[in-house]
Amino acid sequence: MNYFSSLLRGALGAGLLLGAAGARAGADPHWPVAAIPAALRENAHAVIRQQDDIITVKGAGRLVHTIHLVATVLDEQGERYGAAVVGYDKLHQISYLRGSVYDADGRLIRSLRAADTKDYSAHDGFSLFTDNRVRVSDLRQARYPYTAEFEYELVSTNTLAFPAWSPQEDEHVSVEHATLRVVTPPELPLRYREERLPAGSAVAQSQQGALRVYTWQFQLLPAVEREPYSPPLAELVPTVYTAPTAFEVQGYPGALTSWQQLGQWGFQLTQDRMTLTPETEARVKELVKGVDDPRARARKVYELLQSSTRYVSVQLGIGGYQPFPASTVASTGYGDCKALSNYCLALLKAAGVESYAAWISAGRQKAAVRTSFPNDQFNHVILCVPLQADTVWLECTSQTEAFGYLGSFTGNRHALLLTPQGGKLVRTPANAALDNRQYRRAEVQIDEQGHGRATVRTTSTGEQQDELAQIMHQLPADEQRKQAYQRLALPAVTIEQSSWQQNHRGAQPVVTERLTLALPSYASRTGRRLFLTPNLLNRLPPPAPRVGARQAPLQLATPFVDADTIRFRVPAGYKPEAVPAPVQLRTAFGSYEAQTQVLPDGTVQYTRRLQMPAGRFEAKEYEAYEDFRQRISKADRAQLVLVHPES
Amino acid sequence: MKQALLTLLLVLGWGALAQGQPDPVKFGQVTAADFDASALKGAAGAPAVVLCDYGVTRIEGAHDGFRVAFERVTRVLIQTKAGYSQAEVQVPLYRFEGQEDELLNLRGATYNLVNGRVEKQKMAGSAVFREQTGPDQMSRKFTLPGVREGSIVEYAYTVKSWRLFKLHPWQFQHPDVPVAWSEYRTIVPGFYVYKEMPRGYLPYALRTQAVVPYSTIYHVSHQDDRGNTADVAPTQRLVTDAISSRWVMRDVPAFRPEAYMTTPRDYLAALEFELHQTAFDPARPKAVTSTWEKITDELLKEEAFGGLLERRDLAGEFSNASPLTPAATALRTSHPDPTARAAAALALVRGALRYDGEEWLYARTPQLRQLVDKQLGNAAEVNLLLVHTLRDAGLAANPVLLSTRGHGRVQQEIPVLSQFNYVVAHVALPAGQDLLLDATDPLAPAGTLPERCLNGYGRLIAPAGRWLPLTPAQRYSCFTNARLTLTPQGEVQGSVRVEYGGYAGLSARARLAAQGEQKFLAEWQQQRPDWQLTRRAVQRAADPAAPLLLDVDLRLPGAGAAQPLYLPLMRLLATNDNPFQPETRLYPVDLGMPHEYATTVLLTLPAGYRPEALPGRLLLELPGGAGRFAFDTSLQGQVLQLTSRLQLTRARYAPGEYAALRELVTRAVAKHQEPLVLRRTP
Repeated sequence: MNYFSSLLRGALGAGLLLGAAGARAGADPHWPVAAIPAALRENAHAVIRQQDDIITVKGAGRLVHTIHLVATVLDEQGERYGAAVVGYDKLHQISYLRGSVYDADGRLIRSLRAADTKDYSAHDGFSLFTDNRVRVSDLRQARYPYTAEFEYELVSTNTLAFPAWSPQEDEHVSVEHATLRVVTPPELPLRYREERLPAGSAVAQSQQGALRVYTWQFQLLPAVEREPYSPPLAELVPTVYTAPTAFEVQGYPGALTSWQQLGQWGFQLTQDRMTLTPETEARVKELVKGVDDPRARARKVYELLQSSTRYVSVQLGIGGYQPFPASTVASTGYGDCKALSNYCLALLKAAGVESYAAWISAGRQKAAVRTSFPNDQFNHVILCVPLQADTVWLECTSQTEAFGYLGSFTGNRHALLLTPQGGKLVRTPANAALDNRQYRRAEVQIDEQGHGRATVRTTSTGEQQDELAQIMHQLPADEQRKQAYQRLALPAVTIEQSSWQQNHRGAQPVVTERLTLALPSYASRTGRRLFLTPNLLNRLPPPAPRVGARQAPLQLATPFVDADTIRFRVPAGYKPEAVPAPVQLRTAFGSYEAQTQVLPDGTVQYTRRLQMPAGRFEAKEYEAYEDFRQRISKADRAQLVLVHPES
Repeated sequence: MKQALLTLLLVLGWGALAQGQPDPVKFGQVTAADFDASALKGAAGAPAVVLCDYGVTRIEGAHDGFRVAFERVTRVLIQTKAGYSQAEVQVPLYRFEGQEDELLNLRGATYNLVNGRVEKQKMAGSAVFREQTGPDQMSRKFTLPGVREGSIVEYAYTVKSWRLFKLHPWQFQHPDVPVAWSEYRTIVPGFYVYKEMPRGYLPYALRTQAVVPYSTIYHVSHQDDRGNTADVAPTQRLVTDAISSRWVMRDVPAFRPEAYMTTPRDYLAALEFELHQTAFDPARPKAVTSTWEKITDELLKEEAFGGLLERRDLAGEFSNASPLTPAATALRTSHPDPTARAAAALALVRGALRYDGEEWLYARTPQLRQLVDKQLGNAAEVNLLLVHTLRDAGLAANPVLLSTRGHGRVQQEIPVLSQFNYVVAHVALPAGQDLLLDATDPLAPAGTLPERCLNGYGRLIAPAGRWLPLTPAQRYSCFTNARLTLTPQGEVQGSVRVEYGGYAGLSARARLAAQGEQKFLAEWQQQRPDWQLTRRAVQRAADPAAPLLLDVDLRLPGAGAAQPLYLPLMRLLATNDNPFQPETRLYPVDLGMPHEYATTVLLTLPAGYRPEALPGRLLLELPGGAGRFAFDTSLQGQVLQLTSRLQLTRARYAPGEYAALRELVTRAVAKHQEPLVLRRTP
């Protein structure tokens, strides 16, 4: 305990801890587990005892990042902290990597040996080739707890990518003490942005000779647990984002104090790469001959792109930012997101339509772009075609996407347009609930034994068709059917017929699914009664159970509307004995209506409509959301009871 | 020799291969007719079809020995955009004894049919990448240009390697895409004899062998007195006979994984080879891989295997003393019962070493003291230390080699070590029983192997070696017992106990360890949302030999005063999943072990209540006792009893049994949905 308090005193007194870190390393014992405050062990698999990051900007084109990380691994799930996983590539080299491991009492178990370190290709799973590799130094121990200490240095010649500092990047990890120190030459002042910093941890600036020094420190951050339906962890933990004022990547210098400048740099990388051969140009002109509407011309060009190219990713050095020339794509027929967007841009130009490449942060549930802090927050490129009436966005890596459609991968977020005048930050379109529909009609025939036979037609649009469209395009028929079984989620069903059709003519892409289902014992029979769940295929599961009080805001990612109409023809003679009462719910989280009616001809008609918005709600509203979900789930499980009066 | 071989061929009924059999495909000779796949079986709807995949392996003379030359030509018709990935190719290459495989003569081209004319676009050298994928593994990756729907892509290459102990393997079947014609040929001079190791379930369309004349050129170098190397003679010609073999599969369906499979390697149709013997002097053939006895002998002499079992060297000194020896020796007196002693030794090793997840046959740290210091070991290290410790405890223990489910099935008739990737311990109990132990899983009781080990047979590595069946010692069992009371207001209250036994206990304990008790219980509750839990507890979590218990008190709020009362108790308590969803099955269902699910409910009715209708009894049995479902209800006084028991008594079911298996589970789940109908009598 003394040890810990002296550490704290040191931290508070000196402000700068880094000099002290080396001195402490010599003392015995090292990082005894008993010194961890109880509050940091709560809900934690690992405790970061000390993390010191030093970023030294050597010049516009070079920075050195040293990391000292000491973490106590409390159990098997914290094991990631028993090993250092350091990525490198052509632009990031590891200069050294050292490590030691200590037992619970802080006695040295051993230091890192050559055999503990292995080198792997860090394949991203979709590229044909990248130069990304990873070095893994493994000091994991059999007995918990233990403490692993690593020190390593990365020399980066990609100064566009300054590290973001977020010691608590995993859930169930607490932080005892962490520091960040950035040293820059006076002519290259640091740009930074602090988010969610605890009180008292804001920047301290000082001078070290001519150099500028910026320091931050965090202490005693308790472990965070990711809760269901919450924003990404990156939007919940304290973070310092850093960025240069000027940078250089493989001989391409740039300035970075505005989005305009970043976009300027991006544009310059592509400038001399948009030329097509005269033959290709002539082919495009022929293609759009007689088509006056620029939107129609863009559509023709996009169709040409989709039918004549494919996505192949090769990422090497500056090739991570700079596309292959358009003429190369024209001859090989493949490229990555940059290359295909650039090629499409060149084709559109030949068709007399102006467009811009747009850098974007693609992926579902991505942290939002920090608009007030220009830096490279992007991982993908799409194409923006500004037209008079509206703007068309094109996903050039897909050979099957609808013209102008952005789904959950790139929709509803900021993108940086690369224009000849520099960068412009704009928003991609957001889908409303009514764009993301799932409308279903089903006719079900139930026989005396309770067996059912159903014909089901489901139309899905917008983001509700994204997954279906992907399955349709990527899997053969038998596999599509296997996927359909998983979606049906009924314990007893056989798909007798199935078909899927796509329609790209409307404002939103549509997939229509037609199924014929055999439903053995869909209605259960006890004695002279039949029990039937009218909600055939759209039962919302109850919310994930809550453990403890809700901490994080509630985040609803996708707005949608589902409407189901199911008609059951039941065997003759059966009369309703118990009919589920109609349910109507209206909340801030959405509205729900469900009704079961027995029509005069004896047919049972079930209708259900659920509409939910996208949005973020405060943690204290979570209980109400839970209640809403529970009520829906209960109503979705409700049963109708039919009885035969005679038998 | 030649005569003997021919006789053999005739006996086996293989047609002799006509010499000069034409190649099924020639690189670069694509015609307009090749673009029409309408006549090919299974091509409709497939993203791409491999029109022809053709490989030839020859053994040829080289510098100071022989090497393997493998040539391949592959032609693929890309039918849809989903088939574009077939135009990205990866060729794995290896380094063996310091010598790297050589990739030669790599060519690739894409053909498109434009207005009835075949247009060809060659692959540029810049489209080829080299990647280091492991210390002794590289790969060359390339992609073809100008690919569209309807393109034919074609590539060809040669790999020359020094890995004579394994001929280049051949995979007839591909994931995702069907193959119209897959052909492999080998030309092996008589002085090398290989064993064939076929995999998968598909038949050959053609399989022929013939003796053909063979000649090759090789170089012999020699070292002079000063250590300089020089060629004795620049070239020497060797003329002898060779066995020319040919295997063809036609209309090979795309391989698609199904649920409950071991590794895809067990199912994909392929052919592997192991060098069996060399006979440079026909009178004295030399066995290379020969007998299980030899393998046993060699393994026991190997420092990284047998070395861990040694206690004394010849001089009687401790050569590889185990830090656990004193504690293990003490077990001889503290645990007189051998089974209990084995369990105690198992606990001792588990306490000393944790499994690092590496399935491997050899120790990387053969020194036991160092190993125990490290506290972490691979399968061989953990379980060879276990054998050592069991012996210290005075038990007759030996290692057992096996292949995990992820590594593939073992072919017992082929004595090849590379079939195995894992070690467990065997104890011969005095009563003659076999006890198998594995210390890698902290939760598995003595005698229960982790699921990954339940894969056919293991080989006992002992002077009297034999095959041991790796049959599961336990089932996967889940028993639910509910004691419930109905209140006059229509509310159900009571307690439920769930017993996770055998492999269900193992997996529940693993989930419990990973999620913590709160989440584990919350998950159970989420699957039964109608109940309100008033008390919940997990019991006996620490004793792996006993089933894990989940104890809850719960209530089901009443539906009000409405009469009659419908109570779907089985649906609300039992699990209602059907793991056998798709209606068809191509490959066997491998569950690993027998399964049993049983639920018993006792419901006490308040005075004045009686059942108006109850679900009827049901008994279903699969042929040969392979499965059974029994359901019954009874009323004694005011106590209603419901029992349900589903048993899948085998670990493995043939594809032909799938329909019945699916039907059994479907009907069991359907039975659980039937409610009780209760009524208050006036």
